[in-house]
Amino acid sequence: MNILQEIQNRIVFFDGGMGSLLQEQGLKPGEFPGNWNVSHPEVVVQIHRNYLEAGADIVKTNTFGVDALKYNEHTEYQLEQVVSAAVRNAKEAVRLSGKQAFVALDIGPTGKLLKPMGDLAFEDACELFGQVVEIGTREGADLILIETMSDSYETKAAVLAAKEHSGLPVFVTVTFDERGKLLTGGNPASIVAMLEGLRVDALGMNCGLGPVQMKGILKEVLRVSSVPVIVNPNAGLPRSEQGRTVYDIDADTFAQVMAEITAMGARVVGGCCGTTPEHIKKTVELCRDMTPVPIEPKHRAVVSSFAQAVEIGVSPVLIGERINPTGKSKFKQALRDHNLEYILREGVNQQDHGAHILDVNVGLPEIDEPAMMVEVVQELQSIIDLPLQLDTSDAKAMEAAMRIYNGKPLINSVNGKAESMHQIFPLVKKYGGVVVALALDESGIPETAEGRIEVAKKLYRTAAEYGIAPEDLLIDALCLTVSSDSQGAITTLETLRRVRDELHGKTILGVSNISFGLPLRENINAAFFTMAMQSGLSAAIINPNSEAMMRSYYSFRALMNLDPQCGDYIQVYGGQTSAGSGQSAVVRGVGAGVGLGAGAGSGAGSAGDAGSAGMTGVNSVLGNSIVKGLKEQAAASVRELLETKDALAIINEEMIPALDYVGQGFEKGTLFLPQLLMSAEAAKAAFEIIKDKMAASGQKQEKKGTIILATVKGDIHDIGKNIVKVLLENYSYDVIDLGRDVPPERIVEVAVERQVKLVGLSALMTTTVPSMEETIKGLRERAPWAKVMVGGAVLTQEYADTMGADRYCRDAMSSVGYAEIVFG
Amino acid sequence: MDTGAFKWNEREILRYLGHRGQEVPENVEALIAETERELERAAVPKAYWREYPLTVQDGVLDMDCLKTTSRSLERNLKDCEKVILFGATLGSQVDVLLHRYSVLQMSKAVVMQAASVAMLETFCDEKNEALKAFYKELGWYLRPRFSPGYGDFPLECQRQLVPALELGKRIGVTLTDSLLMMPSKSVTAVIGASRLPRNCSVQGCEVCGKKDCLYRR
Repeated sequence: MNILQEIQNRIVFFDGGMGSLLQEQGLKPGEFPGNWNVSHPEVVVQIHRNYLEAGADIVKTNTFGVDALKYNEHTEYQLEQVVSAAVRNAKEAVRLSGKQAFVALDIGPTGKLLKPMGDLAFEDACELFGQVVEIGTREGADLILIETMSDSYETKAAVLAAKEHSGLPVFVTVTFDERGKLLTGGNPASIVAMLEGLRVDALGMNCGLGPVQMKGILKEVLRVSSVPVIVNPNAGLPRSEQGRTVYDIDADTFAQVMAEITAMGARVVGGCCGTTPEHIKKTVELCRDMTPVPIEPKHRAVVSSFAQAVEIGVSPVLIGERINPTGKSKFKQALRDHNLEYILREGVNQQDHGAHILDVNVGLPEIDEPAMMVEVVQELQSIIDLPLQLDTSDAKAMEAAMRIYNGKPLINSVNGKAESMHQIFPLVKKYGGVVVALALDESGIPETAEGRIEVAKKLYRTAAEYGIAPEDLLIDALCLTVSSDSQGAITTLETLRRVRDELHGKTILGVSNISFGLPLRENINAAFFTMAMQSGLSAAIINPNSEAMMRSYYSFRALMNLDPQCGDYIQVYGGQTSAGSGQSAVVRGVGAGVGLGAGAGSGAGSAGDAGSAGMTGVNSVLGNSIVKGLKEQAAASVRELLETKDALAIINEEMIPALDYVGQGFEKGTLFLPQLLMSAEAAKAAFEIIKDKMAASGQKQEKKGTIILATVKGDIHDIGKNIVKVLLENYSYDVIDLGRDVPPERIVEVAVERQVKLVGLSALMTTTVPSMEETIKGLRERAPWAKVMVGGAVLTQEYADTMGADRYCRDAMSSVGYAEIVFG
Repeated sequence: MDTGAFKWNEREILRYLGHRGQEVPENVEALIAETERELERAAVPKAYWREYPLTVQDGVLDMDCLKTTSRSLERNLKDCEKVILFGATLGSQVDVLLHRYSVLQMSKAVVMQAASVAMLETFCDEKNEALKAFYKELGWYLRPRFSPGYGDFPLECQRQLVPALELGKRIGVTLTDSLLMMPSKSVTAVIGASRLPRNCSVQGCEVCGKKDCLYRR
């Protein structure tokens, strides 16, 4: 009997809760249930048997949360011992029951949050899960159940581990809250997209809610999923009664709701916390003979981030093209300097302007592209909730990025060459993704639409051989420059139409290629974009900061009844008087971002404010803009000043005095922290403009010195450190920001390598002060020339002295003061 | 959470920002207001608690799933026969925003840091008030919440408390090796329950021994 066949043919039943039954048998609070596999095997076997007798087809091993973090050389029982005993207990119960039943190796969350938000590395999580999977598979489990997951990233690590360490079927259930969201923000559509991309065999939900609350969420899961769906609810909602957890519905009600859930289309049902063999028995009685609702493929083209899914093929999807160094010298420099701030800003800016997906290309000949791709993707996905399009021709970089991507990515790209298909399709099969498929092959770009359609057919055919569904391909109809090929646009448009009408496929285009070499390229781009959408274009790689392109987009949607009551169009353009050129209104994206919406701008307060010189003792418009923290105003006045005044003179005569004034005000207590930082940001905006001007004229601003900043190992709060960084940079120091959770040896290594004279260390917790001390010790040994300043919430002068730091910095300004002493 | 639905304690926000009575300029006020709206959209406050018996013997406080010695906690739990172990969080989206602004706009990051702490405190206060009312009906008087790290209540107790309450699974709160809670805007606490009322309930900064703290009231 094979579990995958069984779930194709009938309703299959999971068992129910284990923990509370063990507690009834004497498991003590705080004691790991996993221990009982070894210490009380007879109790565990009996509970499994009770469930089997109640009618369960699958019993879950008593291994929830069992991993090497909890079972290792320091604990009474070893991992190997606990997992193998657990599988043996379950198998023994099946044997004793005399039934045909399955043993699911149960895998729960590690209890740790993954990096970069937490401290468990993705690959370490894969390894923890992999160890359990290997033991369980060897001991004869029939399938792997990954359950109670509330973080898509950890879920992905567990699925990869299951697939890489075992050939068993993989079932996954996640925990939604009452809003239908995962605790880390995902929704049914985003998690289903990722799990189906990873090719799990069945998916669904467990824990968190009772069956009643799960119905709405189940409806959404069923709408989007193409694989069998599992529902294992708690026995209702919990409440505490006399110190005991009790649930609000009884076994009969539970079973009745489970019958409704089965009628909706759930294929595998059972229970979680608070459910007992009685719940399962009654559920089996009601549901056993129900005719299963057929499982139908939904053919949706979906990509996802940790937080949301984007479906391609409904309304045109915009892919922001700006994270790409081609032709951008500042971007190239940012990559060489690991200046992620620059890259992240490009991302947020595009999101604010309405991008649905961000293309990420970090290819430069002289950099380690796989490492850079991983670094940039990890940072982007920790601050932006849009799905990403991984854009690289380096197969290693592609695999590395697909692996650590938190969701189902868009992949750029594959083409009709055998070599490309055999490189990319296996990755899509393993990690999941929708892939951009260029309609070209060994014989180049076909000149005719017919030729491109033939390549598209070959791409679909080969993808199918790898088990990749057609909806996971977006055919790139290719767009040649119209100035060199006057037939180019027509061929592209025809290809788009034919993919839609004849192949029933989805398409994508890099729209702006069309106008290369022509003046006022936006004219051509925007017109072509509209024509392409009309010909069926599903997704466009464009610059969302281009007003002309966005006008085409919003107008097309309004005209094609894709924008109910023209709501988005009015929201964006309402209040503007003319559609002429040179508009200054900022086009804000509609519906982009979930709870992470726009708002990078600052500088409330009128322009007139900044002109009121005198009261601050800083006598210029620029100086006053900085003092008052007016970013736009500072940028505008520095632009004006640069017409008549030398850049260095502006810095020394206007900006530094303003920064000093603010700094002193902060120290005296006439200004407080937000003001200090708003001033710093206004100054920074002005500096950026001056820097560009100096770079253009070949001038270089002298830096006063190089300073390392780091939050010490174990500490992942970095606000304090970042405040110091902003201030030091404004005072012309070159800051090497090593980030957070930085091991002592890394800090020492950089200090030695770059001969750095000043190191700033931050720690927030008493528990991380020892790593600060260790860092200082290392610096004293190997970089005795370096001065060390320390700061952070828990530190005191006394602590700093004990550790042998050179200076305790009570607040952000005092670090600037100390730097002036060291380098002065 | 609905925008505008939250009752903000502006004084606390300013205090966390190191405000000492200076004039608060308009653009800072606007930044605070904008941050509050953003937090209202992003925060998903959740709390979870469970009751445990309490016995005290030779200075050892035994709460069934948590055993510790702490004179300050012992004082706090005087006359108590049981405790409520409590956990609360604003959720991981707030951390995403904090991280985002600490890269892109430090001024907003610090305001958000302060506002989110104030939000969490208010949320915990509301939950605790509700618990107090509930228990009073049953003849129990609750003591102010007391968190690991306050006074001499060891932070190491988090290693017992967080798993015992299954906070990972219930509300998404996890612990790093260095005992930071993640999401960072999370709280755990012990709330004593006694048959005897106590009028003077010292709480907040005043229970803490760290007298040189920058943020002390």
